[in-house]
Amino acid sequence: MPYTVLSHTADAGIEATASTLSELLCELATGMFSLMGSLEPCAQTQAVEVDVASTSRDELVVDVLSELLYHSEVEDLFLCSFEARTSEPHRVHMRAGGVPNSAVKLSGAPIKAVTYHDVAVHETADGWYGRVYLDV
Amino acid sequence: MEVKRVSDVVWGIQQEHPMRVPGRIFASEPLMEAVLRDRATVQVANVAHLPGIVEASYAMPDIHWGYGFPIGGVAATTVADGVVSPGGVGFDICCGVRLIASGFTEADFDKQRATIMAELDRRIPRGIGKGAIAPGGLISDILHRGAAAALQHGYGWESDLERCEERGVSKGAKPSLVSDKAVARGKGQIGSLGAGNHFLEIQVVDQIHDDEAAAAYGLAEGMVVVMIHCGSRGLGHQTCTDQLRLMGNAMHRYKIEVPDRQLACVPVQSPEGQQYLGAMAAASNFAWANRHILAHEARHAFARAFGTSPKHTGMHLVFDVAHNLAKIETHEVDGRPIELCIHRKGATRAFEPGHPDLPADLRAVGQPVLVPGSMGTASWVLRGAVGNPAFASAAHGAGRVMSRKKAKAHQTGSEVRVRLEDDGISVRPGSVKLLSEEAPYAYKDVDAVADVCDQANLAAKVARLRPVGVVKG
Repeated sequence: MPYTVLSHTADAGIEATASTLSELLCELATGMFSLMGSLEPCAQTQAVEVDVASTSRDELVVDVLSELLYHSEVEDLFLCSFEARTSEPHRVHMRAGGVPNSAVKLSGAPIKAVTYHDVAVHETADGWYGRVYLDV
Repeated sequence: MEVKRVSDVVWGIQQEHPMRVPGRIFASEPLMEAVLRDRATVQVANVAHLPGIVEASYAMPDIHWGYGFPIGGVAATTVADGVVSPGGVGFDICCGVRLIASGFTEADFDKQRATIMAELDRRIPRGIGKGAIAPGGLISDILHRGAAAALQHGYGWESDLERCEERGVSKGAKPSLVSDKAVARGKGQIGSLGAGNHFLEIQVVDQIHDDEAAAAYGLAEGMVVVMIHCGSRGLGHQTCTDQLRLMGNAMHRYKIEVPDRQLACVPVQSPEGQQYLGAMAAASNFAWANRHILAHEARHAFARAFGTSPKHTGMHLVFDVAHNLAKIETHEVDGRPIELCIHRKGATRAFEPGHPDLPADLRAVGQPVLVPGSMGTASWVLRGAVGNPAFASAAHGAGRVMSRKKAKAHQTGSEVRVRLEDDGISVRPGSVKLLSEEAPYAYKDVDAVADVCDQANLAAKVARLRPVGVVKG
């Protein structure tokens, strides 16, 4: 299921559903970068790999999205393709493909950071639900 | 939760267990109608849960829904037994505003408008990712010494430091506590604007409301001024992210519970609290230097356009203030002076006349308080008022009233640009599409915010500034 952008007076939120936690993390990452710009199809020319271990599912969402923002800025990449593999307890390995920022026309303000405000991740009858708010 | 009107411009949130103090919001009735439409009042109440908070959880007239703290939130906690919360500062540590006077009139600007805008467009790095005026090699020096380091490396004027909150160098900075990741993000951004609500604006002094203060600040009706709004960029964002992660774990050890994880906090005096304050101060040094370097570049843009040297532009610094910081200050509580950790999240320090920390030439009139509007609307210069009811704090801007999603749906960036140009405001956006998110209609009436500051004695009106040129990310 695709992500949804949540309204916020100053910032922005993303919520998503997915059949697995790995897919959910990818949906939330896709949603986060979609707030800044879009590239469809994502003709990735570079990739980054991140390994994140956290103390809870909520923390895992904040930590992995924060890590992607870090790599995006330092490596000057707009990330647009995500593959994740989660393992217990609260670990994820993610591969994110992208293109140089210079190749993307911004359509939204850059995301500064990932917040813990109202963050939620839980299993549902159909799979997984996640929500996160981002500082813009 | 009940919100009750206390006076014309003050609203109260009753203290309910486990709040430790009541909430208090400064707003007129029309401004309050907007406040009640989002979740900002709940956040005012949430901040009132912080251990050691005194008097009230305050909110400025530009309050709106944030994350953890509301934007416009002010919380004072005791240093002796209260907490410090990175959420009370935010990710953009020491985001703030710098105002530069000039020796030019609007007529002068109009003659060179195209050249000035082109020069600024070329010189001011902005938008996503890397792009900076100064080399990355300055980063260590800047984290230690803020604007003074930039000055030593040839940016800006010695006199700038006197007209800067903290003289552009935060006390207690511990650069060793700024992570390698944060440094990696900051190295490529020294002297850059960013995007979102950050801007460099050329404005004209439109009205003077306080002759004495305006004269002390070096402002006169018809003068062209430059306003810069930005912060600590990726370095600050990463520092807050790092510290929040550490603090979330530490908070459990101190058996502190808060209603929103973004309000994570630890005792001010704890090792983790001191670590946060040291890292935050170092990150704030990046922000002071960042605005200092951008101002240097703006002077050069004007000098080139007018065929003169920067020294002959009359572009003296009026003041530089932060609006995202936690600072240790002494204030009276119940008639006794007490050392407090003042969290200002989207709120400006507003020291009263006579305050010993003000520069000697401004002490008689009080601290300049800079309240930026949005593109197309005015900005304000206020001054600190005697008897400020919120720990010497005032508004930091107009305050958003419309989400980015709705703002984008309302008009396209191109439409916003045409409208601004029709109003005589030259626009040089990093991305035209982004203009709609930051359009004037997405913000509250900044004149109403300034009115409430004045009426509530948060800060007094000095001058109104009208935009004529905008450089955006």
